Amino acid sequence: MTLVRYNNYPLTSRYASAFGRSPWAGLENEINRLFETALTDFAPAASEHRFPVDLYEDRENNYVRAELPGLAREDISVEMVDGYLTINGSRKVTDDDGKVAETISLSRSIAIPEAVQADKVAAAYENGVLTVTLPKREEAKPRKVTIDIK
Amino acid sequence: MTLLNALVPGFARPARASAPAADTEVRVKPLYGVREDGHGYDVTVHLPGVAKDGLEITAQENQVTITGRRAWTPPADWTALYRETPRANFGLTLEHEGDVDADKITAELKDGVLRLTLPKAEAVKPRKIAIS
Repeated sequence: MTLVRYNNYPLTSRYASAFGRSPWAGLENEINRLFETALTDFAPAASEHRFPVDLYEDRENNYVRAELPGLAREDISVEMVDGYLTINGSRKVTDDDGKVAETISLSRSIAIPEAVQADKVAAAYENGVLTVTLPKREEAKPRKVTIDIK
Repeated sequence: MTLLNALVPGFARPARASAPAADTEVRVKPLYGVREDGHGYDVTVHLPGVAKDGLEITAQENQVTITGRRAWTPPADWTALYRETPRANFGLTLEHEGDVDADKITAELKDGVLRLTLPKAEAVKPRKIAIS
């Protein structure tokens, strides 16, 4: 079954549209967004103050991907302490003149399930997504053991 | 289910065929903000993971549609242990009052943030009238 968004509410007239000045526009947007996020994926919604992260692994590495659009590279810091990866960032919101009007701090800590080589952690930032590569320790890598059957 | 269908015939009704197939793709609405001043609207849309070639902006009579396709898919040997990001592409439709000069819309995508400038048409800009 496919869900098709019903777009013809009488409310979505010009007054309640995103450009309108309806006092409910913000609430309506928020409710729409919550519903859409809930229907697409059962994950916490991204907001201005919270960013979503994904955790992946392959044979050699663990990977953490965080959606952090619009951050300057120097405003992102990544730390690995006691099995937790902490990502700190700050988003500078500029006003019309290009001056920094507001700085939004963002922070997440993610528990890394396996032992990683903390000194070899690398991070890359592309298209607003931060990818942290955490190489697994030798003992944590899956090992293939061939057993001779006598 | 068959029993239910027999009891409530409406359940067995086929889905409406009128919806075009292209519109049935699930899209997530990105975070966005709109600011208006006398010259036009400034729209900021967060599109993490969308590269320039995956972005499509269409301006129609009184609406602007933004579609952003994610440039990245996990390689086959990566196993997801925990996920929060939706896999769906981004889709956002904004309506305006027909006062935007569609030819002068500019867009800039940097680090997953789209900045869209929608200038107002000259005819609708507020004008000061000199009294003679």
